[in-house]
Amino acid sequence: MEPEGSTGIVGWGAYIPRYRLPLKEIVRVWGFSPETPAGLRTIEKAVAGDDEDATTMGWEAARNALLRAGIEPSRIGGVWFGTESKPYAVKPSATIIAHALKITPETMATDLEFACRAASEALRLAIGAVASGLIDYGLVIGSDTAQANPGDILEFTASSAAAAFIIGPSSEAAAVFEASYTYVTDTPDFWRRAHMHYPLHGEAFTGEPAYFHHIVSAVKGLFEKTGLKPSDFTYAVFHQPNGSFPLRVAAKLGFPKEKVLPGLLTPYIGNSYNASALIGLAKILDQAKPGDRVLVAPFGSGAGSDAYSLVVTEGVLDKQGRAPKVGDYLERKKVIDYGLYAKYRRLIHRIR
Amino acid sequence: MKYSIARFWREREGHYRLLGRKCRSCGRVNYPPSSVCRYCGSKDLEDVELLEKARVLTWTVIHTAPEGFEEYRPVIIAIVELLESKARILTRLTDVEPEDIREGMIVEPVLRRISEDGDSGIIHYAIVFRPLVSGGGSDGGG
Repeated sequence: MEPEGSTGIVGWGAYIPRYRLPLKEIVRVWGFSPETPAGLRTIEKAVAGDDEDATTMGWEAARNALLRAGIEPSRIGGVWFGTESKPYAVKPSATIIAHALKITPETMATDLEFACRAASEALRLAIGAVASGLIDYGLVIGSDTAQANPGDILEFTASSAAAAFIIGPSSEAAAVFEASYTYVTDTPDFWRRAHMHYPLHGEAFTGEPAYFHHIVSAVKGLFEKTGLKPSDFTYAVFHQPNGSFPLRVAAKLGFPKEKVLPGLLTPYIGNSYNASALIGLAKILDQAKPGDRVLVAPFGSGAGSDAYSLVVTEGVLDKQGRAPKVGDYLERKKVIDYGLYAKYRRLIHRIR
Repeated sequence: MKYSIARFWREREGHYRLLGRKCRSCGRVNYPPSSVCRYCGSKDLEDVELLEKARVLTWTVIHTAPEGFEEYRPVIIAIVELLESKARILTRLTDVEPEDIREGMIVEPVLRRISEDGDSGIIHYAIVFRPLVSGGGSDGGG
Protein backbone atom coordinates (compact mmCIF):
# COMPACT_ATOMS: atom_id res chain seq x y z
CA MET A 1 0.00 0.00 0.00
CA GLU A 2 1.21 3.51 -0.83
CA PRO A 3 1.54 5.90 2.17
CA GLU A 4 -1.55 7.70 0.88
CA GLY A 5 -3.63 4.58 1.50
CA SER A 6 -4.02 5.27 5.21
CA THR A 7 -5.78 8.58 4.42
CA GLY A 8 -8.93 9.74 2.71
CA ILE A 9 -11.54 12.46 2.34
CA VAL A 10 -13.73 12.44 5.45
CA GLY A 11 -15.66 15.58 4.46
CA TRP A 12 -16.06 17.70 1.36
CA GLY A 13 -17.86 20.93 0.57
CA ALA A 14 -18.30 23.42 -2.23
CA TYR A 15 -19.53 26.93 -2.75
CA ILE A 16 -20.62 28.78 -5.89
CA PRO A 17 -21.73 32.40 -5.61
CA ARG A 18 -25.24 33.31 -6.74
CA TYR A 19 -24.46 35.61 -9.64
CA ARG A 20 -23.85 34.51 -13.25
CA LEU A 21 -22.50 36.62 -16.09
CA PRO A 22 -23.51 35.30 -19.54
CA LEU A 23 -20.39 35.37 -21.72
CA LYS A 24 -22.35 37.11 -24.47
CA GLU A 25 -22.18 40.16 -22.18
CA ILE A 26 -18.38 40.20 -22.53
CA VAL A 27 -18.80 39.84 -26.29
CA ARG A 28 -21.20 42.82 -26.26
CA VAL A 29 -19.01 45.11 -24.17
CA TRP A 30 -15.60 44.29 -25.64
CA GLY A 31 -16.50 43.57 -29.27
CA PHE A 32 -15.33 39.98 -29.44
CA SER A 33 -16.58 37.57 -32.09
CA PRO A 34 -19.94 36.09 -31.03
CA GLU A 35 -18.37 32.67 -31.64
CA THR A 36 -15.78 33.06 -28.87
CA PRO A 37 -17.83 31.58 -25.96
CA ALA A 38 -18.72 28.53 -28.07
CA GLY A 39 -15.02 27.98 -28.79
CA LEU A 40 -14.43 27.91 -25.05
CA ARG A 41 -17.47 25.64 -24.55
CA THR A 42 -18.62 27.97 -21.78
CA ILE A 43 -21.99 29.74 -21.44
CA GLU A 44 -21.84 31.64 -18.15
CA LYS A 45 -19.41 32.33 -15.34
CA ALA A 46 -20.03 32.59 -11.60
CA VAL A 47 -19.40 36.01 -10.07
CA ALA A 48 -18.90 36.66 -6.37
CA GLY A 49 -21.15 39.36 -4.91
CA ASP A 50 -20.08 42.72 -3.53
CA ASP A 51 -19.64 41.36 0.01
CA GLU A 52 -17.77 38.19 -0.99
CA ASP A 53 -14.12 37.32 -1.47
CA ALA A 54 -11.94 34.20 -1.46
CA THR A 55 -12.09 34.08 2.35
CA THR A 56 -15.89 34.19 2.68
CA MET A 57 -16.34 31.63 -0.10
CA GLY A 58 -13.68 29.38 1.46
CA TRP A 59 -15.48 29.67 4.81
CA GLU A 60 -18.72 28.33 3.33
CA ALA A 61 -17.04 25.46 1.47
CA ALA A 62 -15.11 24.54 4.63
CA ARG A 63 -18.28 24.71 6.76
CA ASN A 64 -19.97 22.30 4.35
CA ALA A 65 -16.94 19.99 4.58
CA LEU A 66 -17.15 20.09 8.38
CA LEU A 67 -20.87 19.23 8.29
CA ARG A 68 -20.06 16.18 6.18
CA ALA A 69 -17.05 15.16 8.28
CA GLY A 70 -19.01 15.37 11.53
CA ILE A 71 -15.87 15.96 13.60
CA GLU A 72 -15.02 18.50 16.28
CA PRO A 73 -13.32 21.42 14.47
CA SER A 74 -10.61 21.55 17.13
CA ARG A 75 -9.35 18.12 15.97
CA ILE A 76 -8.13 19.69 12.71
CA GLY A 77 -4.39 20.23 12.96
CA GLY A 78 -3.71 21.99 9.66
CA VAL A 79 -5.63 24.53 7.57
CA TRP A 80 -4.22 25.13 4.10
CA PHE A 81 -5.79 27.77 1.90
CA GLY A 82 -4.92 27.72 -1.80
CA THR A 83 -5.72 30.89 -3.73
CA GLU A 84 -4.35 33.47 -6.12
CA SER A 85 -6.88 36.12 -5.07
CA LYS A 86 -5.97 36.77 -1.46
CA PRO A 87 -8.04 39.57 0.09
CA TYR A 88 -4.86 40.64 1.89
CA ALA A 89 -1.48 40.49 0.14
CA VAL A 90 -0.02 39.88 3.62
CA LYS A 91 -2.30 38.41 6.33
CA PRO A 92 -3.52 34.85 6.01
CA SER A 93 -7.06 33.94 5.04
CA ALA A 94 -6.40 30.53 6.64
CA THR A 95 -6.40 32.01 10.14
CA ILE A 96 -9.64 33.95 9.56
CA ILE A 97 -11.42 30.80 8.40
CA ALA A 98 -9.83 28.65 11.13
CA HIS A 99 -10.89 31.15 13.78
CA ALA A 100 -14.42 31.53 12.41
CA LEU A 101 -14.86 27.73 12.36
CA LYS A 102 -13.44 27.29 15.88
CA ILE A 103 -10.40 25.33 14.67
CA THR A 104 -7.89 27.69 16.32
CA PRO A 105 -5.57 27.95 18.18
CA GLU A 106 -3.87 24.51 18.13
CA THR A 107 -3.46 24.17 14.39
CA MET A 108 -1.12 24.95 11.53
CA ALA A 109 -2.61 27.49 9.14
CA THR A 110 -1.24 29.10 6.02
CA ASP A 111 -2.11 30.36 2.55
CA LEU A 112 -0.40 28.77 -0.45
CA GLU A 113 0.11 30.18 -3.95
CA PHE A 114 0.77 28.20 -7.15
CA ALA A 115 -1.67 29.76 -9.64
CA CYS A 116 -4.61 27.31 -9.89
CA ARG A 117 -2.76 24.45 -8.22
CA ALA A 118 -1.95 25.63 -4.68
CA ALA A 119 -4.90 23.81 -3.09
CA SER A 120 -3.92 20.62 -4.89
CA GLU A 121 -0.41 20.79 -3.45
CA ALA A 122 -2.14 21.38 -0.11
CA LEU A 123 -3.96 18.07 -0.57
CA ARG A 124 -0.64 16.25 -0.81
CA LEU A 125 0.65 18.15 2.24
CA ALA A 126 -2.45 17.15 4.21
CA ILE A 127 -2.17 13.54 3.10
CA GLY A 128 1.45 13.48 4.25
CA ALA A 129 0.70 15.11 7.59
CA VAL A 130 -2.18 12.73 8.34
CA ALA A 131 -0.34 9.62 7.08
CA SER A 132 2.68 10.43 9.26
CA GLY A 133 0.54 10.84 12.37
CA LEU A 134 1.57 14.49 12.78
CA ILE A 135 -2.09 15.57 12.76
CA ASP A 136 -5.47 13.79 12.99
CA TYR A 137 -7.24 15.85 10.30
CA GLY A 138 -6.25 18.51 7.79
CA LEU A 139 -8.51 21.07 6.08
CA VAL A 140 -7.69 21.97 2.47
CA ILE A 141 -9.48 24.88 0.81
CA GLY A 142 -9.27 26.05 -2.79
CA SER A 143 -10.99 29.40 -3.31
CA ASP A 144 -10.66 32.14 -5.89
CA THR A 145 -12.31 35.27 -7.17
CA ALA A 146 -10.19 34.95 -10.29
CA GLN A 147 -9.09 38.17 -11.95
CA ALA A 148 -8.57 38.94 -15.63
CA ASN A 149 -7.61 42.08 -17.47
CA PRO A 150 -10.95 43.49 -18.70
CA GLY A 151 -11.25 42.77 -22.41
CA ASP A 152 -8.63 39.99 -22.30
CA ILE A 153 -9.65 36.53 -23.50
CA LEU A 154 -9.14 35.30 -19.90
CA GLU A 155 -12.08 37.42 -18.80
CA PHE A 156 -14.47 34.98 -20.46
CA THR A 157 -13.70 32.25 -17.96
CA ALA A 158 -12.09 33.83 -14.84
CA SER A 159 -14.75 33.12 -12.22
CA SER A 160 -15.44 32.65 -8.51
CA ALA A 161 -16.06 29.49 -6.44
CA ALA A 162 -14.58 27.41 -3.63
CA ALA A 163 -14.08 23.77 -2.65
CA ALA A 164 -12.88 22.27 0.63
CA PHE A 165 -11.83 18.84 1.84
CA ILE A 166 -11.10 17.41 5.25
CA ILE A 167 -8.41 14.77 5.05
CA GLY A 168 -8.35 12.15 7.79
CA PRO A 169 -7.89 8.45 8.46
CA SER A 170 -9.04 6.06 5.73
CA SER A 171 -11.25 4.23 8.24
CA GLU A 172 -13.57 7.28 8.38
CA ALA A 173 -13.28 8.30 4.74
CA ALA A 174 -15.90 8.73 2.03
CA ALA A 175 -13.09 8.14 -0.47
CA VAL A 176 -9.63 6.69 0.18
CA PHE A 177 -6.50 7.93 -1.57
CA GLU A 178 -4.83 5.05 -3.41
CA ALA A 179 -1.87 6.97 -4.76
CA SER A 180 -0.73 10.41 -5.90
CA TYR A 181 1.93 11.80 -8.21
CA THR A 182 3.19 15.33 -8.91
CA TYR A 183 4.94 16.78 -11.98
CA VAL A 184 6.27 20.38 -12.00
CA THR A 185 8.61 22.44 -14.20
CA ASP A 186 9.45 26.13 -14.66
CA THR A 187 7.08 27.21 -17.44
CA PRO A 188 6.17 30.87 -18.23
CA ASP A 189 2.53 30.33 -19.25
CA PHE A 190 0.78 32.70 -16.81
CA TRP A 191 1.88 35.15 -14.12
CA ARG A 192 0.98 38.25 -12.17
CA ARG A 193 3.76 40.51 -10.93
CA ALA A 194 3.65 42.09 -7.47
CA HIS A 195 1.26 45.09 -7.18
CA MET A 196 -0.35 44.34 -10.54
CA HIS A 197 -4.15 43.99 -10.64
CA TYR A 198 -4.35 41.45 -13.44
CA PRO A 199 -2.32 38.48 -14.70
CA LEU A 200 -0.72 38.08 -18.12
CA HIS A 201 -0.33 34.89 -20.11
CA GLY A 202 2.31 33.60 -22.47
CA GLU A 203 -0.09 32.86 -25.33
CA ALA A 204 1.56 29.90 -27.08
CA PHE A 205 2.64 28.42 -23.75
CA THR A 206 -0.89 28.05 -22.41
CA GLY A 207 -1.93 24.83 -24.14
CA GLU A 208 0.61 22.21 -25.14
CA PRO A 209 3.73 23.13 -23.10
CA ALA A 210 1.75 23.96 -19.97
CA TYR A 211 -1.71 22.43 -19.50
CA PHE A 212 -1.44 19.35 -21.67
CA HIS A 213 2.21 18.45 -21.01
CA HIS A 214 1.91 18.67 -17.23
CA ILE A 215 -1.42 16.91 -16.82
CA VAL A 216 -0.50 14.12 -19.23
CA SER A 217 2.86 13.69 -17.48
CA ALA A 218 1.27 13.59 -14.01
CA VAL A 219 -1.43 11.11 -14.98
CA LYS A 220 1.02 8.87 -16.86
CA GLY A 221 3.31 9.01 -13.83
CA LEU A 222 0.43 7.86 -11.65
CA PHE A 223 -0.39 5.05 -14.09
CA GLU A 224 3.23 3.83 -14.12
CA LYS A 225 3.40 3.98 -10.34
CA THR A 226 0.17 2.05 -9.79
CA GLY A 227 -0.41 -0.03 -12.91
CA LEU A 228 -3.86 1.57 -13.27
CA LYS A 229 -5.32 2.43 -16.67
CA PRO A 230 -8.24 4.60 -17.89
CA SER A 231 -10.69 1.69 -17.94
CA ASP A 232 -10.13 1.20 -14.19
CA PHE A 233 -11.73 4.58 -13.42
CA THR A 234 -15.43 5.46 -13.14
CA TYR A 235 -14.78 9.21 -13.37
CA ALA A 236 -11.94 11.51 -14.42
CA VAL A 237 -11.72 15.14 -13.30
CA PHE A 238 -9.15 17.46 -14.85
CA HIS A 239 -8.36 21.13 -14.31
CA GLN A 240 -11.02 23.07 -16.20
CA PRO A 241 -9.74 26.40 -17.63
CA ASN A 242 -12.51 26.17 -20.24
CA GLY A 243 -15.01 23.56 -21.36
CA SER A 244 -12.79 22.23 -24.11
CA PHE A 245 -9.34 21.47 -22.62
CA PRO A 246 -10.54 18.77 -20.16
CA LEU A 247 -12.17 16.78 -22.98
CA ARG A 248 -9.03 17.10 -25.14
CA VAL A 249 -6.67 15.99 -22.38
CA ALA A 250 -9.04 13.12 -21.58
CA ALA A 251 -8.89 12.00 -25.21
CA LYS A 252 -5.08 12.17 -25.17
CA LEU A 253 -5.04 9.91 -22.11
CA GLY A 254 -7.70 7.50 -23.36
CA PHE A 255 -10.68 8.55 -21.23
CA PRO A 256 -14.08 8.73 -22.95
CA LYS A 257 -15.94 11.99 -22.45
CA GLU A 258 -18.71 10.17 -20.53
CA LYS A 259 -16.27 9.79 -17.62
CA VAL A 260 -15.35 13.48 -17.71
CA LEU A 261 -18.67 15.28 -18.24
CA PRO A 262 -20.16 14.52 -14.76
CA GLY A 263 -17.36 16.51 -13.12
CA LEU A 264 -17.07 19.25 -15.76
CA LEU A 265 -18.53 22.51 -14.41
CA THR A 266 -16.75 25.19 -16.43
CA PRO A 267 -19.53 25.48 -19.06
CA TYR A 268 -21.86 26.70 -16.28
CA ILE A 269 -19.59 28.55 -13.83
CA GLY A 270 -16.33 29.31 -15.66
CA ASN A 271 -12.84 28.58 -14.38
CA SER A 272 -12.72 29.00 -10.61
CA TYR A 273 -8.93 28.52 -10.53
CA ASN A 274 -8.02 26.84 -7.23
CA ALA A 275 -11.54 25.39 -7.02
CA SER A 276 -11.63 24.37 -10.69
CA ALA A 277 -10.83 20.64 -10.61
CA LEU A 278 -11.61 20.33 -6.89
CA ILE A 279 -15.22 21.50 -7.23
CA GLY A 280 -15.49 18.91 -10.00
CA LEU A 281 -14.32 16.31 -7.47
CA ALA A 282 -16.87 17.62 -4.94
CA LYS A 283 -19.65 17.16 -7.50
CA ILE A 284 -18.48 13.61 -8.21
CA LEU A 285 -18.50 12.79 -4.47
CA ASP A 286 -22.02 14.26 -4.24
CA GLN A 287 -23.22 11.51 -6.59
CA ALA A 288 -20.60 8.72 -6.27
CA LYS A 289 -21.35 5.15 -5.27
CA PRO A 290 -19.19 2.86 -3.12
CA GLY A 291 -16.53 1.20 -5.23
CA ASP A 292 -16.26 3.99 -7.80
CA ARG A 293 -12.67 4.93 -8.64
CA VAL A 294 -11.97 8.60 -9.38
CA LEU A 295 -8.98 10.19 -11.13
CA VAL A 296 -8.37 13.83 -10.23
CA ALA A 297 -5.70 15.91 -11.96
CA PRO A 298 -5.57 19.61 -11.07
CA PHE A 299 -3.13 21.92 -12.88
CA GLY A 300 -1.52 25.23 -12.05
CA SER A 301 0.41 27.60 -14.26
CA GLY A 302 4.06 28.08 -13.64
CA ALA A 303 3.56 25.02 -13.99
CA GLY A 304 2.55 21.75 -12.39
CA SER A 305 -0.05 19.02 -12.09
CA ASP A 306 -0.94 16.39 -9.51
CA ALA A 307 -2.72 13.14 -10.24
CA TYR A 308 -4.72 11.38 -7.52
CA SER A 309 -6.51 8.05 -7.53
CA LEU A 310 -9.40 7.78 -5.07
CA VAL A 311 -11.67 4.83 -4.28
CA VAL A 312 -15.12 5.69 -2.93
CA THR A 313 -16.26 3.84 0.20
CA GLU A 314 -19.61 2.96 1.80
CA GLY A 315 -19.10 6.03 3.99
CA VAL A 316 -19.93 8.37 1.12
CA LEU A 317 -23.65 7.60 1.21
CA ASP A 318 -24.27 8.87 4.73
CA LYS A 319 -22.31 12.06 4.12
CA GLN A 320 -23.80 13.14 0.78
CA GLY A 321 -26.97 14.65 2.25
CA ARG A 322 -25.41 16.46 5.21
CA ALA A 323 -24.68 19.73 3.37
CA PRO A 324 -25.77 21.54 0.20
CA LYS A 325 -24.52 19.83 -2.96
CA VAL A 326 -22.77 21.42 -5.91
CA GLY A 327 -26.02 20.98 -7.85
CA ASP A 328 -27.89 23.08 -5.26
CA TYR A 329 -25.48 25.95 -5.81
CA LEU A 330 -25.69 25.52 -9.60
CA GLU A 331 -29.47 25.87 -9.46
CA ARG A 332 -29.36 28.96 -7.26
CA LYS A 333 -28.48 31.69 -9.72
CA LYS A 334 -29.21 35.27 -10.63
CA VAL A 335 -28.12 36.44 -14.07
CA ILE A 336 -26.47 39.88 -14.06
CA ASP A 337 -25.15 42.24 -16.72
CA TYR A 338 -21.60 43.53 -17.25
CA GLY A 339 -22.29 46.67 -15.20
CA LEU A 340 -23.16 44.78 -12.00
CA TYR A 341 -20.32 42.32 -12.61
CA ALA A 342 -17.89 45.25 -12.95
CA LYS A 343 -19.19 46.71 -9.68
CA TYR A 344 -19.15 43.41 -7.77
CA ARG A 345 -15.63 42.49 -8.90
CA ARG A 346 -14.36 46.04 -8.38
CA LEU A 347 -13.37 46.65 -11.98
CA ILE A 348 -14.55 50.21 -11.39
CA HIS A 349 -12.14 52.01 -9.07
CA ARG A 350 -13.63 54.50 -6.65
CA ILE A 351 -11.91 56.93 -4.30
CA ARG A 352 -12.55 55.57 -0.82
CA MET B 1 -7.33 54.24 9.54
CA LYS B 2 -10.85 55.27 10.47
CA TYR B 3 -11.88 52.29 12.58
CA SER B 4 -10.49 50.89 15.80
CA ILE B 5 -8.53 47.71 15.08
CA ALA B 6 -8.68 46.77 18.76
CA ARG B 7 -12.46 46.99 18.83
CA PHE B 8 -12.90 44.67 15.89
CA TRP B 9 -10.34 42.24 17.33
CA ARG B 10 -12.23 42.20 20.64
CA GLU B 11 -15.55 41.56 18.91
CA ARG B 12 -14.42 39.07 16.29
CA GLU B 13 -15.66 35.96 18.12
CA GLY B 14 -19.18 37.35 18.16
CA HIS B 15 -18.97 38.56 14.58
CA TYR B 16 -17.55 35.33 13.13
CA ARG B 17 -19.74 32.87 15.04
CA LEU B 18 -22.76 34.97 16.00
CA LEU B 19 -22.43 34.49 19.73
CA GLY B 20 -25.31 35.03 22.14
CA ARG B 21 -25.65 34.12 25.81
CA LYS B 22 -27.99 31.43 27.08
CA CYS B 23 -29.40 31.78 30.59
CA ARG B 24 -28.80 28.68 32.69
CA SER B 25 -31.77 29.64 34.93
CA CYS B 26 -34.61 30.29 32.47
CA GLY B 27 -33.07 28.76 29.33
CA ARG B 28 -33.65 31.77 27.09
CA VAL B 29 -31.06 33.11 24.71
CA ASN B 30 -29.94 36.71 25.07
CA TYR B 31 -28.88 38.57 21.95
CA PRO B 32 -26.97 40.82 21.87
CA PRO B 33 -24.93 39.04 24.56
CA SER B 34 -25.34 40.45 28.04
CA SER B 35 -23.96 39.62 31.48
CA VAL B 36 -27.45 39.67 33.07
CA CYS B 37 -30.42 37.76 31.59
CA ARG B 38 -32.87 40.35 30.34
CA TYR B 39 -35.74 37.88 30.88
CA CYS B 40 -35.17 36.68 34.46
CA GLY B 41 -32.30 38.75 35.86
CA SER B 42 -29.99 35.78 36.43
CA LYS B 43 -26.24 36.30 36.10
CA ASP B 44 -25.66 32.63 35.28
CA LEU B 45 -25.23 32.70 31.49
CA GLU B 46 -23.06 30.86 28.95
CA ASP B 47 -21.90 31.72 25.43
CA VAL B 48 -23.81 29.97 22.62
CA GLU B 49 -23.23 29.96 18.88
CA LEU B 50 -26.33 31.09 16.99
CA LEU B 51 -25.59 29.79 13.47
CA GLU B 52 -29.21 28.76 12.94
CA LYS B 53 -31.78 29.25 10.24
CA ALA B 54 -34.14 32.14 10.88
CA ARG B 55 -37.31 33.79 9.58
CA VAL B 56 -37.52 37.39 8.46
CA LEU B 57 -39.80 39.46 10.72
CA THR B 58 -39.30 42.92 9.24
CA TRP B 59 -36.80 44.82 7.11
CA THR B 60 -35.84 48.16 5.64
CA VAL B 61 -33.93 49.13 2.52
CA ILE B 62 -31.27 51.84 2.83
CA HIS B 63 -30.41 53.63 -0.40
CA THR B 64 -28.41 56.44 1.22
CA ALA B 65 -25.77 54.35 2.93
CA PRO B 66 -23.16 55.77 5.31
CA GLU B 67 -19.59 56.33 4.11
CA GLY B 68 -17.80 53.01 3.69
CA PHE B 69 -20.95 51.09 2.73
CA GLU B 70 -21.47 52.50 -0.77
CA GLU B 71 -20.42 49.20 -2.41
CA TYR B 72 -23.23 47.36 -0.67
CA ARG B 73 -26.10 49.67 -1.68
CA PRO B 74 -28.97 49.09 -1.42
CA VAL B 75 -28.24 47.91 2.14
CA ILE B 76 -31.01 45.68 3.47
CA ILE B 77 -31.30 45.61 7.26
CA ALA B 78 -33.68 43.08 8.83
CA ILE B 79 -34.81 41.69 12.14
CA VAL B 80 -34.84 37.91 11.94
CA GLU B 81 -35.99 35.37 14.52
CA LEU B 82 -33.86 32.25 14.90
CA LEU B 83 -35.91 29.08 14.41
CA GLU B 84 -34.47 27.15 17.39
CA SER B 85 -33.34 29.61 20.05
CA LYS B 86 -36.00 32.23 19.14
CA ALA B 87 -33.43 34.99 19.59
CA ARG B 88 -34.07 38.04 17.44
CA ILE B 89 -31.12 39.41 15.49
CA LEU B 90 -30.64 42.76 13.79
CA THR B 91 -28.70 41.80 10.68
CA ARG B 92 -27.98 42.60 7.05
CA LEU B 93 -29.60 40.47 4.33
CA THR B 94 -27.50 39.48 1.31
CA ASP B 95 -27.96 37.61 -1.99
CA VAL B 96 -31.49 38.89 -2.39
CA GLU B 97 -33.20 41.80 -4.16
CA PRO B 98 -35.41 44.08 -2.02
CA GLU B 99 -38.51 43.28 -4.09
CA ASP B 100 -38.14 39.55 -3.40
CA ILE B 101 -38.08 39.73 0.41
CA ARG B 102 -41.16 38.38 2.16
CA GLU B 103 -42.23 38.32 5.80
CA GLY B 104 -41.54 34.82 7.11
CA MET B 105 -38.90 34.08 4.46
CA ILE B 106 -36.43 31.51 5.77
CA VAL B 107 -32.82 32.69 5.79
CA GLU B 108 -29.51 31.18 6.89
CA PRO B 109 -26.25 32.59 8.30
CA VAL B 110 -23.19 33.19 6.12
CA LEU B 111 -19.84 34.90 6.70
CA ARG B 112 -19.46 38.01 4.54
CA ARG B 113 -17.54 41.27 4.38
CA ILE B 114 -19.48 43.88 6.32
CA SER B 115 -17.11 46.81 5.82
CA GLU B 116 -13.50 47.62 5.12
CA ASP B 117 -11.26 50.41 6.28
CA GLY B 118 -10.51 52.02 2.91
CA ASP B 119 -8.16 50.32 0.45
CA SER B 120 -5.36 49.68 2.94
CA GLY B 121 -7.03 48.99 6.30
CA ILE B 122 -8.60 45.95 7.93
CA ILE B 123 -11.41 44.04 6.21
CA HIS B 124 -14.29 43.36 8.61
CA TYR B 125 -16.08 40.02 8.36
CA ALA B 126 -19.27 39.03 10.16
CA ILE B 127 -22.26 36.74 9.96
CA VAL B 128 -25.18 38.06 7.90
CA PHE B 129 -28.22 36.19 6.53
CA ARG B 130 -29.28 35.10 3.04
CA PRO B 131 -32.18 33.08 1.57
CA LEU B 132 -31.69 29.32 1.90
CA VAL B 133 -29.61 27.68 -0.81
CA SER B 134 -31.89 24.65 -0.67
CA GLY B 135 -34.50 23.03 1.48
CA GLY B 136 -37.61 25.13 1.93
CA GLY B 137 -36.45 28.70 1.37
CA SER B 138 -37.53 31.05 -1.37
CA ASP B 139 -34.50 32.48 -3.13
CA GLY B 140 -36.21 34.92 -5.40
CA GLY B 141 -33.27 34.62 -7.79
CA GLY B 142 -33.62 34.48 -11.56
